[in-house]
Amino acid sequence: STSSLLSTDKDKSAATKDSTHEGASKRQEDGAETPKQQLLDIIGNMKVEVSYRNKLQQLKASESQKQAMNKLEGPDSEGFVPQGTTEETQRGKPLNPELVKAASAVASSLPRNKKQTESELLAQLRRHEETTDKQKKGGAIKIRNVISEMTVKRQTPAQRGARISGRISLQLDEDGQRIRPERSSAQSVDSRRYYCCVHFQSLKVGKRLNIFTKASTEPEHALKTVSSPTIWDLEFAKEVAAVTAQPPRNGFEEMIQWTKEGILWEFPIDNEVGMEDDAEFHEHIFLEKHLEGFPKEGPIRHFMELVICGLSKNPYLSVQQKVEHIEWFQKYFEEKKELLQE
Amino acid sequence: LCATGRYHRFHLFNQVLPSPCPRQVRSYYVDWRMLRDVKRRKMAYEHADERLRINAIRKNSILPRELQEVADKEIAALPRDSCPVRIRNRCVLTSRPRGVKRRWRLSRIVFRHFADHAQMSGVQRAMW
Repeated sequence: STSSLLSTDKDKSAATKDSTHEGASKRQEDGAETPKQQLLDIIGNMKVEVSYRNKLQQLKASESQKQAMNKLEGPDSEGFVPQGTTEETQRGKPLNPELVKAASAVASSLPRNKKQTESELLAQLRRHEETTDKQKKGGAIKIRNVISEMTVKRQTPAQRGARISGRISLQLDEDGQRIRPERSSAQSVDSRRYYCCVHFQSLKVGKRLNIFTKASTEPEHALKTVSSPTIWDLEFAKEVAAVTAQPPRNGFEEMIQWTKEGILWEFPIDNEVGMEDDAEFHEHIFLEKHLEGFPKEGPIRHFMELVICGLSKNPYLSVQQKVEHIEWFQKYFEEKKELLQE
Repeated sequence: LCATGRYHRFHLFNQVLPSPCPRQVRSYYVDWRMLRDVKRRKMAYEHADERLRINAIRKNSILPRELQEVADKEIAALPRDSCPVRIRNRCVLTSRPRGVKRRWRLSRIVFRHFADHAQMSGVQRAMW
């Protein structure tokens, strides 16, 4: 049960504390193989590289578990907290006390050298705080740095065999630390799990690209108080366009030019280009309301009803045109009323 | 094919095309007959609605005959060039009144000329 607890803790805290574990393992050169092997096994068992926030949440979740353990352990764990606080005050940047407690809990759960692991964890946490602050401020962008830190690994089962041999000499940048050949051998067993690894940390560490920041268009609009461009401006613009217009380099550019001129239609073909009929169908069909100016009986009414029937079936005229049609007839018949009454 | 004559008094109907134009530019109508045809077409377009409505009254078995006679007189009073019957589909390039294919608006001679020079899209010499 203790080993399983250990493995779960280390899974949660694994990626961020990779370097710390490695650092601890480096300094424990005098130590036995077992902690190293444990660490390597844990790293090999790593299935998901979780983002930093999730890790924090998991740490907080584990903290509640660990507090129960701490109560059992008693004075040992409590001795570490003041150490952490002294280190904090030395650095000057306040860490989340919950994080500190979690770090101490994790360190206490590890079998060896709790003080060192604790300090390593805290150092790692501080580093992450610094990087997040840098991120918020937004440093200068260098694509080289970003690309060098990004690693996208995809593996097909066919390439696995080829990759395993090449793995040993690979230099993978994870927090700027190199992977040892031993590590790669442990990883090669679980290579299928590295299906699509983009190391999430390396995304946040480093300088920002500022590709997707919102362009601030509001001050530009505020500055635009110029009236609509004069004829001379338009003419000048036309001249400039005519002078700088290069002949099309290929068929695509030729087609683009033709589309702009109006020779070529825009694809996919819209049958209603130029037709902007905003009227609903009922305005086209039910035209009887326009017949109010006519007498309700007689041949004229009969005639007008036929006219309306024809108009309702006409898809080519707009509503405005149909109404004008009916109004023309109304005017005509009113002029001829004196004649009719003879 | 060059125009037979250039007539300069087309100030009403002068077509001025923009200068940077790599295609063929015809800035005058080919002859006066073509110009008259153009005038007739424009007038027919203007009076088309009126003519349609008056004719609707005339060609009617419902309305009384007096109305229809009045409509007859009205339509006769419209300008003569407003009727579409007077429009002649002339060749667009040579103004030839006869032998004009409607799809291309060209006379048979011009059509043949361009087709032989492979300047008519999709037109080929028939052979079967």
